[in-house]
Amino acid sequence: MMADIIKQIYDAVVEGKVEEASSAVQDALNSGLEAEEILNKSLISAMDLVGQRFGEGEIFIPQVLWSAKAMQAAMDLLKPHFTSSRSKDVGKVVIGTARGDIHDIGKNLVAIMLEGAGFQVIDLGVDVEPEGFVEKAIEEKADVIAVSALLTTTMQSMGDVVSLVKERNLPSVKVIIGGAPVDGAFCEEIGADAYGIDAMDGVRKVKELLSR
Amino acid sequence: METSLNHLCVPRFELLDESQILRLHHAALRILGEVGVKVNHQRAVDLLAGHGAKVDADNIVKIPQFLVEEAIRSAPSDLIIYNRKKEPVMELGGKRIYFGTGTDLPKTIDLVTRKVRDTTSDDVILSTIISDAMPDIDFIGSFGLPKDIRPGLHYIKCFELEVRNSAKPIFFTAGSEKDLNVILDMASTVAGGDEELSRFPFLIHYSEPTSPLTHSKEALAKLLLCSERKIPVNYTPALLAGSTGPVTLAGSLGVAVAEALSGLVIHQLANRGSPIITGVAATAMDMLHATVSYSAPEFRLTHSAYAELFHYYNLPIWGTAGCSDAQFPDLQAGAEYGFSLLSAALDGANLIHDCGYLGQGFIASPEMIVFANEVIGMVKRYLSGFSIDDAHLALDVVRSVGPGGHFLGEKHTLDFFKQEHWRPSLFNRENLPNWIKKGSKTLDQKLVEKALEISKTHKPEPLSSTVSEELDRIWDKISSQMEK
Repeated sequence: MMADIIKQIYDAVVEGKVEEASSAVQDALNSGLEAEEILNKSLISAMDLVGQRFGEGEIFIPQVLWSAKAMQAAMDLLKPHFTSSRSKDVGKVVIGTARGDIHDIGKNLVAIMLEGAGFQVIDLGVDVEPEGFVEKAIEEKADVIAVSALLTTTMQSMGDVVSLVKERNLPSVKVIIGGAPVDGAFCEEIGADAYGIDAMDGVRKVKELLSR
Repeated sequence: METSLNHLCVPRFELLDESQILRLHHAALRILGEVGVKVNHQRAVDLLAGHGAKVDADNIVKIPQFLVEEAIRSAPSDLIIYNRKKEPVMELGGKRIYFGTGTDLPKTIDLVTRKVRDTTSDDVILSTIISDAMPDIDFIGSFGLPKDIRPGLHYIKCFELEVRNSAKPIFFTAGSEKDLNVILDMASTVAGGDEELSRFPFLIHYSEPTSPLTHSKEALAKLLLCSERKIPVNYTPALLAGSTGPVTLAGSLGVAVAEALSGLVIHQLANRGSPIITGVAATAMDMLHATVSYSAPEFRLTHSAYAELFHYYNLPIWGTAGCSDAQFPDLQAGAEYGFSLLSAALDGANLIHDCGYLGQGFIASPEMIVFANEVIGMVKRYLSGFSIDDAHLALDVVRSVGPGGHFLGEKHTLDFFKQEHWRPSLFNRENLPNWIKKGSKTLDQKLVEKALEISKTHKPEPLSSTVSEELDRIWDKISSQMEK
């Protein structure tokens, strides 16, 4: 019975069925399963499979997004039940597009993928001043600042974010950058901690940064 | 003579019937009236509000039908673009087609090392010289975005290098109103004053709204500046079906057309009759790689559809072709160039840009400009069709040669072979033994050789020394200001 519910949640998340995921999680909680168990036995492994299938080209972005939505819906139900040891998410990320840049598709994609991977994401939206990123990171005690840019003109402000983090002496806050014009050389040039080639790589890099 | 016969047989393409064109038009009007567009520029909001548009919270502006239809009427339907020497070289309107490169490619495939590297200002000079030498490249863009020039100055430098290295019309971008003003000062210097520049425009500025349904402050500042100074401007959205627009092509077209039309309204309200080139780019986002496809077949469908809609409006329109998602000049690039150039030409788009693009709008390939030129020649020959009049049917020649003879020695053959048959300049037509004898060269080798040869031998017409010195002075002034 318990195994059945776990399997139902797992399948609902893999298939991106939001309502089914929610009702299965509610059933699981009603039947006395611990929130941690539901998270560890179904949600995380479901999203792992989704990530793996996406990486292999078996499923596509819209499908990943709906799986992430199902995961989020499940998490919303589980959160009140987590014991204090799990009050903190796997990590907290402040994300936004660089100053002057209002292109946010890439940023939205990364935000959703991060949420899908269990991160708490604070999305500052578009055209974010370097100060905006850093203030929010301090206020929220975030682990990572993620900055996205599409334009070669706006990517320059990514360097300002890095300088400001150093200026404010926040060694625990990592800066990751991404977007079409960004590459490894630029990342090194401005002294950012990492850059993501695409959304999946961005999530991978954030995980790496936090496991160091 | 036979009186009712149309002698010319030309390939034609039609995607939409009139009721389908109107359906799209009405969808765009409903989006503008019911959903509205976000207008992040106060003067543009004031202009719209002052003429009957409704402004909601957060500068969401709902534009009534009559404003859109007035703008379609007040914008010029036929736009003459001159070269640097004030000779009319492009008549944008109707189904006249012109081709050119584009702007802002951060990477370049080096002609010598064949490696992808950062674009430099030398690449801007090279692509300008190649474009100048190519007979079927009608206008030039910076092609690359030079890494060796600091942001804020790089668009100014690009324009300066282009105008020095070609007399052809220039299609250009700018970061903001600030560098646009400097570029226009340079252009005015070349033309001999602002009035001469607006009389004989040899340049077209590119600015764009941001999908979905947003006009950024910078884009509008540039649009308004061009409108006021009567500088031709190309204001067209680049929408991605499935991410910045609905996943369906019809839905994407509705949104993109609404974006283009709202830009047209703002542009015309600022200065009625000012020159503008409009249209859209609506392609598919690749749902596996989250990349922008420059060569999706869906892009060709939306291109044909908006082209027919904007021809219906009788407005000059832009186009996109001669570009590829391939990262290198390979077979994929060849197929995508051929398909897109033919399709855009059949659409009758006026200002067809992006020739020479690889890597989904990130990589400049100088030799692919040469390739595009070759394909354009082929496409133009195909589109010019053939005549079926008596001289071309040539029944008298057939009678005189008769069965079993040959036509090679006929005067008719001599008279017509040049105009009737297209001759490639680089595509192979040699037989096998001759091809081997001449080094078994494949097209990609010949393209690189040709591009290198042009770079060494082609000498563009220089600017007068007075103008040249004045450009130096403008550059020195702005670059020293920026260094401070």
